[in-house]
Amino acid sequence: MSGSSTAKRDFPDILAGGVMIGLGALGLWAGRDLQFGSAAMMGAGFLPDVICGMLIAIGAYVLIKALGKAYEPFDESNFKPLIILVVAIAGFAFMSETLGFIVSTIWLLVIGSLADQESRWREIAISTVLLTIFGALVFIYGLGVQMPILPF
Amino acid sequence: MTHCKIKFAFAAAVFAASASYAHAEWPNDRPIQMIVAFAPGGSTDVMARAIEPFLEKELGADIVIENRPGASGEIAYTALSKAKPDGYTFSYINTPGYLSMQVQRKLGYDPKTIKPIVRIVDDPTAIVVPAASEIKTLKDFVDAAKAKPGAVSYGSSGVGTDDHLAIILLGAATGTTFTHIPFSGAGETRTAILGSQVSGGGLNISEFAGNDTSGLRMIAHFGTDRSPQLPDVPTAKEQGFDVEMTSERGIAAPRELSDEITQKFGEAMKKVLDNPEFQKQAKQLALPLAYLSGPDWEKQMPDRLARFQKIWNETPWVK
Amino acid sequence: MAFLDVLMLGFSEAFTPTNLFFCFVGALLGTLIGVLPGIGPTATVAILLPVTFFLPPLGALIMLAGIFYGAQYGGSTTAILVNLPGEASAVVTAIDGYQMARKGRAGAALAIAALGSFFAGTVATIGLAVAGPTLSSFALSFGPAEYVSLCIFGLLAATILAHGSVIKAIGMVCLGLVLGMVGIDVNSGSTRLTFGSTELYDGIDFVVIAVGLFGVAEIASNLEFKEARGVLQSTIGRLWPTKQEFKESWGAVLRGTGVGTILGVLPGGGATLSAFSAYSVEKKISKTPEKFGHGAIAGVAGPEAANNAGAQSSFIPLLTLGIPSNSIMAMMLGAMTIHGITPGPSVIQNQPELFWGLVASMWIGNAMLLVINLPLIGVWVRLLKVPYRLLYPAILLFCCIGVYSVNNRGFDVALVILFGVLGYVLRKAKCEAGPLLLGFVLGPLLETNLRRALLLSQGDPLVFVERPISAVLLLITAGMLLTLILPAIRKGRKEAFEASED
Repeated sequence: MSGSSTAKRDFPDILAGGVMIGLGALGLWAGRDLQFGSAAMMGAGFLPDVICGMLIAIGAYVLIKALGKAYEPFDESNFKPLIILVVAIAGFAFMSETLGFIVSTIWLLVIGSLADQESRWREIAISTVLLTIFGALVFIYGLGVQMPILPF
Repeated sequence: MTHCKIKFAFAAAVFAASASYAHAEWPNDRPIQMIVAFAPGGSTDVMARAIEPFLEKELGADIVIENRPGASGEIAYTALSKAKPDGYTFSYINTPGYLSMQVQRKLGYDPKTIKPIVRIVDDPTAIVVPAASEIKTLKDFVDAAKAKPGAVSYGSSGVGTDDHLAIILLGAATGTTFTHIPFSGAGETRTAILGSQVSGGGLNISEFAGNDTSGLRMIAHFGTDRSPQLPDVPTAKEQGFDVEMTSERGIAAPRELSDEITQKFGEAMKKVLDNPEFQKQAKQLALPLAYLSGPDWEKQMPDRLARFQKIWNETPWVK
Repeated sequence: MAFLDVLMLGFSEAFTPTNLFFCFVGALLGTLIGVLPGIGPTATVAILLPVTFFLPPLGALIMLAGIFYGAQYGGSTTAILVNLPGEASAVVTAIDGYQMARKGRAGAALAIAALGSFFAGTVATIGLAVAGPTLSSFALSFGPAEYVSLCIFGLLAATILAHGSVIKAIGMVCLGLVLGMVGIDVNSGSTRLTFGSTELYDGIDFVVIAVGLFGVAEIASNLEFKEARGVLQSTIGRLWPTKQEFKESWGAVLRGTGVGTILGVLPGGGATLSAFSAYSVEKKISKTPEKFGHGAIAGVAGPEAANNAGAQSSFIPLLTLGIPSNSIMAMMLGAMTIHGITPGPSVIQNQPELFWGLVASMWIGNAMLLVINLPLIGVWVRLLKVPYRLLYPAILLFCCIGVYSVNNRGFDVALVILFGVLGYVLRKAKCEAGPLLLGFVLGPLLETNLRRALLLSQGDPLVFVERPISAVLLLITAGMLLTLILPAIRKGRKEAFEASED
C-alpha cells in the first residue's frame, strides 16, 4: 500500500463525493423558491435545504479525504450494455401508453437483448415471441394491467 | 405448468364477460373505461367497484376501472379532458377538490372541457373528537380554541381537502384559530383522533359511519340537513355556526360527448342508484347517496367555486 | 379455557374445504404476484375485490389475506435470486440473500426464509390472538413525537446496513431523504423538487427507485464483462441449509420474530422498519459482523422472520380498531365494509366466528405458504441455470411492466432509466443503495411527523423527551450511536498513533 504513495487519490470516492455535491446542489436549486420557516414552524423548504446542505457537506468531506487516500482506480467499466438498456427501456416507456403492450415489449426485448454480446438472433426471436405472449396473457389479461395490447 | 392454469382460471373469472362483445353501437363496441382519480382501496375506488357490476347490467356493457392517481386528481381529469368524446371514457370526479384546485394552481386541463353527468354522493364534512374528550358540542370546540389560542388542534386528511376548507370557514366565521394538522388521508386522521393525538379532526359522514365508531364522537357536521345515516348528530347551522361543507362524488365525461349518450348514461346511473340491491350495498359502505342530474349539479358549481375563490383570497391554504 | 374455546371456534370455521381452498388460492396467487416485481398485492386485491362480492365474507377475507402474505413472501424470492426487492421490506433480504445466491446457496437462503417466515407467522398469529387489543392500544399511543424518535432510530440502523464506509452510507441516507421529499408537501400543500412536472406531485414510487437502483443497475453491471456473469451460474449447491446454517439462523429468527411482531403493529412504516431493525440487531450482536453483506445467513433469517411477523401483526390495528396500517389493509377494510363488516372491537364481540376464523386462517395460510414454497425452491433455483442472456430480458420485461402498473403510465418507466444510471454510477463510486432506500422510505414519515409534533407542541422541542416512549427510543438510539462511534474513535486514535510512528 505505502509502496505506491506517490500515486494517491481514491477515484471511486472522488466520484461519490462529486455525485453527492452535484445532487445536493441540484436539490438546493430546485427548492430555491420554497419557504424556509424556522425550526419551530418549518416551511416546506426547511428540511430539503438542511438535508441538501448535509449532503453537500458529506460529499465535500468524502471528496477531500479521497484526494489524500491511497490510490484506488475505478473498476473496469464498459458502458455499452448500460446505454443499450437505457435505449430499450426508454422506447418501452414512450410507446407503452400509445402503441400498446405488444409493440413496446418487442422493442424492449429485442433491443435489450443486444446489450449482451453473447446474444444470438435465433434465441432473441424465440424468447421475444414467448415472453410477449406470456406477458400479454399473464399481465394484461390475467392481472389486468391497464395497458392497451395493440395500437388503436 | 399448473400456475398458468390458475392464472387462466382467474383471467376467465375476472374477464368472463369481455369476450362477448363484437363491433356494435355504443356501448357495445369496446369496454367503457371509468377513470378513478385515486389509488385502489380509497373510498372513491371502493365505491366505483361497488357500482361497476350494477352499471354493467344497466348499460349492457363492459366496464373497466382505471386508476390514474396523482396530484389530487389533476392527472385523471387531464386524461379525461383529452379523451375522445365517444362515450367510452368517463371519470369519477370529487368536489371540492375538482373545484378548489382551479383556485389554487394553474391546471393541466381546462375545467370547461369536462361535463358532469351525474352526482352520486353528497357526503357532509364533520368534526369528530375522541369519545373521552370534554368537548361535546361545536360550541365547546370553538370556545376551547378561543380560551387558549393554538391549543385546539384539528387533523384533516390533507391541505385543500373539504376537511381543511371546513375548518378555515369555521375559523373565519368565529374569528378563532385552530392548529391545523394535515394528515395523508382519512385513515391517518382517524388514528390520530382515536389516540387523542389531536383535539379533534375532520372526517366525512361515510368515513365515520362506515367504520367502527367506538372511541369516537361526532359533534357536528357541515351538511345542510341532518344526515339519514346519523340522525342524532346536529348540523353546524343548528348549533349556530353558518358553515356548510360537503364532499360530492359523481361521474363526468369530455364536454363534447353527444347528448344522446349523456342522457342514456345518466339514466342508467339513475336506475343503479334506485336499485334496492345497490342501495343495500351503499348502506353498508355508509354512502350518503344523493342523485343529482348532470345539468343540475353543474348549475351549483359556479356558486361553490366563487365561495372557494373568496376563501382563497382571504386565507390562501397553500403558500 | 375461554381462549381455547374461541380458537377452536376459529379453526372449525377456517377448516372447511371451501375456506381451505380460498386460503390456498390466495397464498398461491400471492406468491406468484410477489415474485413479479412491481405488480403488488394492492393492485391484485383491487382487481379481485368485485369478485369477492360473490364469495362468503370469511372466504373472501381469507383469500385476500392469503394474497397479502403470499406476496410478502414472494417478494423475497426475487430479492434473493436476482437482487430485485419488490417492496421495501425485501431490500434487506437482497443484501445477504443475493450474495448467498451468488455463492450457490440460493436454495438455503430461500429455505431459511420460508421456515423463518412460517415460524414468525405462527408466533405473530398467536400474538394477535392473545394480545391483539393490548398491542393496538400500544399502536395508538404512538403519536408524532414517537414516530420521529422511531425514525431517527431507523436511520441510524441504516448506517449499520452498510458494509463499506459509514460516512458514505450517511450520505446515501441523505440522498434517500431528499428523494423522499419530491412531490406535494403534506403540511403546506406546496410542490417540492418536482421540476414542474405534474407526474411527480405524488412523489416517486418505491418500486421505481428499487427497480432502477437494483434491477437495471444490476443487469448493466452483470453484462459489462463475461466474467461478471460467470459467478452467477457457478454452482447450485445443495438446496437444503446445512446444520451449521441452521445453527446460525435460529437465534436470528427468534429475534426477528420479536422485532417484527411489535413494530408491525405500528401503522405507517412499522412493517418496513421491522426488517431493517432486525438486520441491524443481527449485525450488532453477531460475532462475525464482517460476514454481513457477503452472504451471512443470519442476515436473511432475521429480516425475513421480522418481515413476516410484521405482516401478520399489521392486521392487529385493522381488526381491533378498524385502522388500516397500509394500503393493502385499506383494501381489506374496503372488502370488509362491502360485506357489511365494520372491523373494530364490535366484530370480536358480535361476529366472533369471523374474527377467530380469520385469525385461524392466518396460521393455516402460513402453513400453506410453506407447503407451496418449499417444493418451489427447486424450481426457482433451477431458474438460475437459465443462461443469463435469456434470463435478463425477462427480468427487464417484468421490471418495466411492474413499474408501469403502479400508476398505469410510461412516465414511471422513464424515471427508472434515471435511477438505473444513478445506480450504475453509485456502484462505480462504491456507494450502497440499501441505506438510500431506507432514507427514502423513512424520509416522509420522519418529516411529516417532525413538523406535526412541533405544530402540536407549538414549537417546543422538549416533546421528544417528555413523552416516555419517545424518550426511551431516543435513549436506545443514543446508546447505539455510542457503541458505533466509540470503537471508531479508539480505532481512529490507534491509526493516528501508528501513522505518527511511520
